[in-house]
Amino acid sequence: MEKLTMLREEGLAKIEACADLASLQQLRVLYLGKKGPIQEVMGMMKDLSKEERPAFGQQVNEMKSLLSKAIDDRRALLEAKEMNEKLEQEKIDITLDGYQPKVATMHPLNLVQQEIEDLFIGLGYTVAEGPEVELDFYNFERANIPKDHPARDMQDTFYINAEELLRTHSTAIQMRQLEKFSPQLPIKVICPGKVYRRDDDDATHSHQFTQVEGLVVGENITMSDLKGTLEFMARKMFGEKRVIRFRPSYFQFTEPSVEVDVSCHICGGKGCGVCKGTGWIEILGAGMVHPNVLKMAGYDSSKCSGFAFGAGIERIAMLKYGIDDIRHFYTNDQRFLKTFTRFE
Amino acid sequence: MRISKKWLQQYLDVSDLSAQEIADCITDAGLEVEGLEAMSSGTNLMIGEVETCVDHPDSDHLHICQVNFGDKTEQIICGAPNVRAGIKVIAALPGAKLPGGEIQAGNIRGLESNGMICSLAELGVDPKQLRDDQKNGIEILPADAPIGDRDPLAYLGLDDVVLDVSLTPNRNDCMAGWAMAVETGAVLNRSVKLPNCEGAANEGSATRLKVSSTTKKCPLFLGKVINHVTIKESPKWMKELLAASGIKSINNVVDISNIVMLETGQPLHFYDVKAIPAQEITVKDQLECTYTALDGIEYTIEKDDLIITSEGKPIGIAGIMGGDDSKIEADTAGIIIEAASFHHVNIRNTSRRLNLSTDASIRYQKGIEPLAAYKAMDRAVALLKEYANADGLEATVQYGDDAYTPVEITVSPSRINRLLGTDIAVSEMVEVCRRLQLQPSMQGEDIHVVIPSVRQDLLIEADIAEEIIRIIGYDRLPSTMPLMPATVGALNERQQMRRRIRSLFTGFGLYDMITYTLASQKQVDDAIMGLTPVVELASPMSEDRKYVRGSILPSLLDSVAYNQNRSVKELACFEMSSVYAKGIEEEHLAIVLCDTLQKSQWQNIVIPADFYTLKGIIKTMLAQFGFEGTRVIVKPNTVDVEHFHPNKSACIYIGKDLLGIFGDIHPMMAKRYNVSSAVMAELNMEVLLKNRASKVKFAPISKYPSVTRDLALVVKTETASADIIDTIRKSGKRMVTDVEVFDVYTGEHVAQGSKSIALRVTFQSDDKTLTDKEINEVYEKLLNALKQELQAELR
Repeated sequence: MEKLTMLREEGLAKIEACADLASLQQLRVLYLGKKGPIQEVMGMMKDLSKEERPAFGQQVNEMKSLLSKAIDDRRALLEAKEMNEKLEQEKIDITLDGYQPKVATMHPLNLVQQEIEDLFIGLGYTVAEGPEVELDFYNFERANIPKDHPARDMQDTFYINAEELLRTHSTAIQMRQLEKFSPQLPIKVICPGKVYRRDDDDATHSHQFTQVEGLVVGENITMSDLKGTLEFMARKMFGEKRVIRFRPSYFQFTEPSVEVDVSCHICGGKGCGVCKGTGWIEILGAGMVHPNVLKMAGYDSSKCSGFAFGAGIERIAMLKYGIDDIRHFYTNDQRFLKTFTRFE
Repeated sequence: MRISKKWLQQYLDVSDLSAQEIADCITDAGLEVEGLEAMSSGTNLMIGEVETCVDHPDSDHLHICQVNFGDKTEQIICGAPNVRAGIKVIAALPGAKLPGGEIQAGNIRGLESNGMICSLAELGVDPKQLRDDQKNGIEILPADAPIGDRDPLAYLGLDDVVLDVSLTPNRNDCMAGWAMAVETGAVLNRSVKLPNCEGAANEGSATRLKVSSTTKKCPLFLGKVINHVTIKESPKWMKELLAASGIKSINNVVDISNIVMLETGQPLHFYDVKAIPAQEITVKDQLECTYTALDGIEYTIEKDDLIITSEGKPIGIAGIMGGDDSKIEADTAGIIIEAASFHHVNIRNTSRRLNLSTDASIRYQKGIEPLAAYKAMDRAVALLKEYANADGLEATVQYGDDAYTPVEITVSPSRINRLLGTDIAVSEMVEVCRRLQLQPSMQGEDIHVVIPSVRQDLLIEADIAEEIIRIIGYDRLPSTMPLMPATVGALNERQQMRRRIRSLFTGFGLYDMITYTLASQKQVDDAIMGLTPVVELASPMSEDRKYVRGSILPSLLDSVAYNQNRSVKELACFEMSSVYAKGIEEEHLAIVLCDTLQKSQWQNIVIPADFYTLKGIIKTMLAQFGFEGTRVIVKPNTVDVEHFHPNKSACIYIGKDLLGIFGDIHPMMAKRYNVSSAVMAELNMEVLLKNRASKVKFAPISKYPSVTRDLALVVKTETASADIIDTIRKSGKRMVTDVEVFDVYTGEHVAQGSKSIALRVTFQSDDKTLTDKEINEVYEKLLNALKQELQAELR
């Protein structure tokens, strides 16, 4: 019995002192294996009387499980320590940069165009397009700009031949849409696209630029609806606090026609360099579709009405991002393009 | 259109308004005032008399002047050559603010100077309005100028402000001062009184004068002989009006022709009657000649130009400029007045070709109201009688007619309110029509209006609706959203595809670019997958922008070169755009990759911009649209080996349709476009839209484990890896689910003319766990097939 107690104390002390997993395994073999001191003690059992044997056996077994548990606990402790040492050794320099996928950007004109498309898609518009090499018929005639009209000045248009030209405005798309839908109602389209004019390229002029127009034709479409729609657009594009104002203007394909100003998004309307001190920025031309235009497309202008509006995408992008030279859009300098990670 | 406040004041009372207030009101009504221009400016000015003027002792040009201002006399040092004792002058006293700065009392070469004696230029008067002696010296006022007057600018009639009005093409009627006055009166709601000269030109005795035209481009020509006029200086109001309009005063008669043009919009021409002895004037075209006009320049006249002739000889370029020999001079005793209409397109073409733009030609180009010639003739006669002692009037002769029928419109107030979305009272609409001089009257529920001849822009109800809302003000317009049946907003297939590609490619690190559609000869010659026949502009602006492009890559390469020249080496980009040929429109996608696409050097990650990366990008993109597997076929490039490296490029097909070409740029092409090496692609997106994508369908995932085997093969260098993979797949039947190349090697330990390819083959079955035996059987089979078909040996 004393021997057992001694063995137990000795075993527990050794386990406690054990510093690595390999020696711990040796202790396990020693104490719990087939040839250790415990087995030796067990061998002494045959010398005991029948009555003493169960109590002795029980004590030996208790001691075995005690030592076994001590070994397991010690192992867990040593394993945790070893793991910690290993993890410590694996420490990396987190300040070092690794593979950061290079993500490129959308062209700012496409970014703005997509933004405008999306906000009108949300209002139930579809996106319509048309050919850039366009017929005089859709670019001018159908837009209520007959031959000899000063607006058709040869100066402004890239003609290909007597009938064909590079479209000078996205209005040509509208005219094709009117013809396509006629006589169905309603029409609700947004028409983005490249357009071309005979301009010398400089900081504010470009022979190629991008327009987006909207057209709504229905049974009771009013000029107030135009105002509400454009106010919605201005707020989405330039911030919720924006207000718009209409100024009378003239386009051949609308009557009445207006220029649309948005209160300046930089100064809020107090006047600054961007709005040239006026508090307003001109961004759109708009109006009610001219009855002649509806008639030419086969609509009865006494039974329906519509509004149309158009904006220059370059101009909107220049205003939003503070771009000073329209040529940047077509030079495609990567240092310019990488700025436009998102629409703001 | 330039109209001054004083000019407006002739017709309506605007004395209580500043020029800025007037400008704001008419701008709001649609006639945008682009600028205000003071005829002169200066504060703290006073009229004084130079009492003594002696030379400054320390200067060869300065004078010491004692200037009397009535209640005081000040010493002013003046350097003007024309200063002298006894003249009346304008002095700017200390504290005066002039366009050039503020005047202070000071000391000039040791002598006190309390102000500055001014020239008109120093007071901001446009030098073009000044005579040479006025430009070079101080202004010498008339002897009776009031000493001590504190407003010398008003004394000179220079206290005026010009409104520079930008007119929309429908409102060119406002080129006429009278129309501008009516418009301003309507906007301000003030009554307007225009000079009434109607019938003034009816006076006249029998005449010899004959006027005619041999061309339809001159529909109306009025002529009138006035045998006696007195040439003299114009009255002050005329000079001021002309100065405010930027026209130089010449003499009373010439000035009257200009005044009438400014007032009515109708250009007039006065001929000296003695220069046209035949008393015959004919308008002609089809005349080819040279002609020296009033400006002394010889112009070449072509067939389409309109020429005024007498006895067959040119006496003026119609509507643009008269001739020197018939001009009004100091000794002119009698005149012939011309008031005519010419076709605006003709005047525009001639004016542009001759590069000769005059006050008259500008007005003709913009169109003149149909009755302007009569009004101008009446007004000219009235003014000539009043200011040039006109006498000996002969009857007016007329060629052609004005073809004018008055326009009357009946409009419905309820329809107008419906169009605008407003609730404007009928009475208010009527009132606006009255202000616009449309003579409104009620016809039942409707308003009937009579359009004045000047308002050629008012034809239909919508025009009247616009007049009403712009005069009432757009701030009265409510803000609503359209009430209509619901519509579905969506992108079509093409638009969705574009957006998908854009987000995919920018995610890969490819920049979205936009280059010009118009291309040069070189760019057209280098078209890739280009369409023909190429579309050419009728009259291009430059050699660089002559054609409508049929391919994107050449212009995209120019943008690449631009970036490379600026040390942007790692450039990857793409562009999607429509391209054209006669009668054809296609949408293309072009890609260019240079140097390295992605990298992290210390991690040994480098994705090079090479053929294989480009191929991978294209295949990933195609898979996005349901084109993968056997539907995508890559074949050696036999289509275009001029722009592409003949052995490092390929054609890619969707089924039988050629989608595009991709690969390394040909070194010669790279040189031509000044780019360092690059890989590029031009793809025809129509092929993707035309072919049906496969349906997305779920295939059950095998429940049984897969086994991989690696094998390294030695094959001939020219053996295509695709053939190896095909062979493995074919002989492996349904048990081989994947074959992947993981290494390609040539060099040491591999015989010349051979290469080593290492592949990983995945075996899996859908209905059982494959045993080693089964796999070995298949493995042996595919090795045999590789050996027989491709002479491939296990390494």
